[in-house]
Amino acid sequence: MPREIITLQVGQCGNQIGMEFWKQLCLEHGISKEGILEDFATQGGDRKDVFFYQADDQHYIPRALLIDLEPRVINGIQNSEYRNLYNHENIFVSDHGGGAGNNWASGYHQGKGVEEDIMDMIDREADGSDSLEGFVLCHSIAGGTGSGMGSYLLETLNDRYSKKLVQTYSVFPNQMETSDVVVQPYNSLLTLKRLTLNADCVVVLDNTALNRIAVERLHLQNPTFAQTNSLVSTVMSASTTTLRYPGYMNNDLVGLLASLIPTPRCHFLMTGYTPLTVERQANVIRKTTVLDVMRRLLQTKNIMVSSYARTKEASQAKYISILNIIQGEVDPTQVHESLQRIRERKLVNFIEWGPASIQVALSRKSPYVQTAHRVSGLMLASHTSIRHLFSKCLSQYEKLRKKQAFLDNYRKFPMFADNDLSEFDESRDIIESLVDEYKACESPDYIKWGMEDPDHILTGEGNATGSVDPNLAV
Amino acid sequence: MEMSYPSTPRWNIERPFLTGRFHQETKAASRFADSFSNNGAEMAIGCYDAGVQELLVIDDLLSALVGIEGRYISIKRRVNHVHGNDTYDSTVTFQVDASMDLALQEMAKRIFPLCESFVLTGQFVESRSQFKNGLVNHAFAASLRALLLDYEAMVAQLEHQFRLGRLSIQGLWFYCQPMLGSMQAVSAVIHKASANNFTGSAVLNLLQSQAKAMAGDNTVRSLLEKMTQCASNAYLGILERWVYEGVIDDPYGEFFIAEDKSLLKESLTQDYDAKYWRQRYSLKDGIPSFLANIAGKILTTGKYLNVMRECGHSAQVPTSENSKLLSFGSNHHYLECVKVAYEFASGELLNLIKERYDLMGKLRSIKRYLLLDQGDFLVHFMDIAREELMKQLDEITVEKLQSLLDIALRSTAAAADPCHEDLTCSVERSSLLKRMATLKGVEIKTSSDSVDLEQPVSITGLETFSLSYKVQWPLSIVISRKALTKYQMVFRLLFHCKHVERQLCGAWQVHQGARAFNASGTAISRSSLLCRSMLKFINSLLHYLTFEVLEPNWHVMHNRLQTAKSIDEVIQHHDFFLDKCLRECLLHLPDLLKKVERLKSLCLQYAAATQWLISSSTDLPKLEEPSDGFSGSEKFKQLKLRSLSQVQKVMIRDATVTESILKFEREFNNELQSLGPILSSSSQAEPYLTHLAQLVLGVGFDK
Repeated sequence: MPREIITLQVGQCGNQIGMEFWKQLCLEHGISKEGILEDFATQGGDRKDVFFYQADDQHYIPRALLIDLEPRVINGIQNSEYRNLYNHENIFVSDHGGGAGNNWASGYHQGKGVEEDIMDMIDREADGSDSLEGFVLCHSIAGGTGSGMGSYLLETLNDRYSKKLVQTYSVFPNQMETSDVVVQPYNSLLTLKRLTLNADCVVVLDNTALNRIAVERLHLQNPTFAQTNSLVSTVMSASTTTLRYPGYMNNDLVGLLASLIPTPRCHFLMTGYTPLTVERQANVIRKTTVLDVMRRLLQTKNIMVSSYARTKEASQAKYISILNIIQGEVDPTQVHESLQRIRERKLVNFIEWGPASIQVALSRKSPYVQTAHRVSGLMLASHTSIRHLFSKCLSQYEKLRKKQAFLDNYRKFPMFADNDLSEFDESRDIIESLVDEYKACESPDYIKWGMEDPDHILTGEGNATGSVDPNLAV
Repeated sequence: MEMSYPSTPRWNIERPFLTGRFHQETKAASRFADSFSNNGAEMAIGCYDAGVQELLVIDDLLSALVGIEGRYISIKRRVNHVHGNDTYDSTVTFQVDASMDLALQEMAKRIFPLCESFVLTGQFVESRSQFKNGLVNHAFAASLRALLLDYEAMVAQLEHQFRLGRLSIQGLWFYCQPMLGSMQAVSAVIHKASANNFTGSAVLNLLQSQAKAMAGDNTVRSLLEKMTQCASNAYLGILERWVYEGVIDDPYGEFFIAEDKSLLKESLTQDYDAKYWRQRYSLKDGIPSFLANIAGKILTTGKYLNVMRECGHSAQVPTSENSKLLSFGSNHHYLECVKVAYEFASGELLNLIKERYDLMGKLRSIKRYLLLDQGDFLVHFMDIAREELMKQLDEITVEKLQSLLDIALRSTAAAADPCHEDLTCSVERSSLLKRMATLKGVEIKTSSDSVDLEQPVSITGLETFSLSYKVQWPLSIVISRKALTKYQMVFRLLFHCKHVERQLCGAWQVHQGARAFNASGTAISRSSLLCRSMLKFINSLLHYLTFEVLEPNWHVMHNRLQTAKSIDEVIQHHDFFLDKCLRECLLHLPDLLKKVERLKSLCLQYAAATQWLISSSTDLPKLEEPSDGFSGSEKFKQLKLRSLSQVQKVMIRDATVTESILKFEREFNNELQSLGPILSSSSQAEPYLTHLAQLVLGVGFDK
């Protein structure tokens, strides 16, 4: 059972999207709600063992840890028809059940308190795998548990499993409507620091964009959490198809991520998915060819991160890398043609300082899930416009911070005791430098960015070697 | 050719009374002389008046017509020993007493050719009835014998008329007319046949061409056609067994298909150059002209039947009354029969190989493992076999690799594939470039300066590891050793690319470890961008090889195989697929391949150095445990005590680190750039290379 991945779902939101994810995985692999392989699921060739392991009685158990500081969502899972799917030893709900009160510092602090319990669970899961590839963390960055405790777990994982990959599916708050969590900007900022420093890859799931997609694309008046969550689970399951349905390439997480992530910190990915459907929704069936799918994936309206950029900035935004995972009945001869067409039409604006092009992974589709569409596609992309999302977080933080609002709740916890708010400042600096780095990526001279070149090491070499001929950049 | 046939009993040759030859021989020996000496009293024919002379001549002629000398008609024979020991090849001439009435002489001489033909035909029939002359000759002789019986009946009737006193010499001449034409035509055939000692198909061809040549003469033509038919019946009997059963029942070596029993079907799985399929059964010279157009079809029909027999299946074309290969001529029934048999054999065999032996499943399985269609097992295998593969060739134990491979297969998606047990591994001795150059039957385009195929000094299992696949008869017809070898070549290329990709991913992960460090403007960021370029290169290459070459070509072949009508068509499509893949995977272009190898080796060198480069640039003691090779612990100690900002300065000043990263960058970019001209010049001849150029270099797009 090589290259296993352990999923940690932390907090309310993390557990909700996690549950949707496992539902989807069960459907795709033909695993029943009890974890038993369905009778019809006889077609082999899929890799269930990356995300599941088999108990002694052959039933499949997700390699998942369900962690929360308040019992509501997890109780919901335990009372649902999926209650027998999970390993009950892997469920952690704090004893007092009081949650983190939407306070990052509380979540972080409580995380520290229960580190041993949780690490025991993680170690047990890790020992149960042959060659663990890494961890996936599902959480939201705005609340208390997912952000605070999630942050603590990220740091700990980085420390204890330094050789393993850590990928997160991080839900960014809806910034279009006023949130009931007033300290959301604080929480987001503090979590972003950990996402920058302690994760190998962050898949950004922007609630603003998810809502927009639900309203505009799926024509839902008031999308429910369940509906936006099903969008998330679609993205999560699609982004793991190459691991679960092995193909020519991207059969391990590191291979998947390495080609997408240019520099250690620029590891935030946007996603796009087409054609989108939600359960029980009659959808117009469109013609789906590879070209259609690839073209639609590039349309901003299908991308699950909202762009806060002004028009001028938006035009400067560039793709650093793109991976399109195409699922379904694909005529492989269409791939080249489609890429060619996209190139000719100049549909993608790529960075100029290095080679870049759309990568394609063709992947099989689950034979057990019937869809109306022949072909579907997921785009994972590193795009410089993501910096505007961080800038937005920064500016909201600044607003709040200037007013010194709501800081008392944080001062109660050791990290901020004695009015030591340096953690905020440090986080701010790091996010700012992240924004700067993404901004620098938009310039053709990114390769020389920040090189003050004090000893003239680079003199005369920059042109000869450093910058790749811009004509070569696709 | 050595043929086993019974020899003609000696008594048949030595006792001419059994063969009718005594007529000439005994007379030649004694009777003729006697008749003239003993019957000296007998008067010369000229002494009689013309009416009596006519009766005497008719009497003598009736004897001469069946090859017996009369009183006034004598037989002279000349034996030709031209053709070795064939004593029957002799010519006879008839002579008439010179004192005979001139008019009668003239009439008699007109009838003599008929007599000569009879004798000649008689001799031919006798000699060709011997075993050694083969079935066609036997059948031809038999039909001639039937003609001779007719002839003898005619003579007997004429004699009866003569006895009744109703036959004049003119009457005799008149009644002989129809027979004369036939007998002359027949004897013309016989002349040619015996002069060239024809057997088998040559006799058939001769008869047919003669029949055609005589098209104007209806009687003669139909006679010759009838004979052709009789003679070819024997031949069609052989043909029938071949096309209906796949059996060569040919004791006299007349059939046009030969079997080479020394070519064994096992050779298909062992020998790269196995000739089994092409040469086990082959066409010989001397194909009967009426079968010439369908000879190939006939050959394959029986060949297919034999394959089925070898598989232990009944190889019998269902036959009915209608399917007897009898009639022919204007009627082309036999063509129809051969066609039916061919379609049956072909369809049946194809069905057998596709359904019973699951050809497509096997090909899919080979694609999965050798073309890495489902590469997850390889990821695991490379994880666990890394150490073994890093060794020098001599130190590698294939058994160990095999057991590691088995583990990898059992624990990945491959476990569900029943074919995975057919997978074996091997370690070859030479590099891919060298191996390609020595591959027979593969056209390699070398540049003017002969590509030096010198092997790198230290070549490890990573360069020479290859998978192999056990293919059983009869699938080995399609997936022969040659085909497998080609699959292996592609596999080795992919395998090494995957290895490079993995090493670069490792390097990428090392960079990831330096996240905590503000990398802007440092050697780390420079290095991570180089790492990205390299990853981009190797991924683009892999993308090209898999999604632009293997997958589309496979798709095309797969569709073609679905509609293929015969196994030969399947082989052809499959071989075409392999050759196209080999060509498009650059394996026929050593210049380009060498360049790619060079780029890959730069990537590997860089990946190996990353650990040191990065740990030299950072101050995070617990960042990475030194995994392999040397550790950066000395550097760590030096840098340990300094603060973060100090370290940054140190790092920027650390000229050696930056220098070596820039050196890698320079070399890599130069190599990549130099790929451009090669690709664009090669793509004139090989248009698919533009795909590669677009992917790797991004050319063909204007910013």
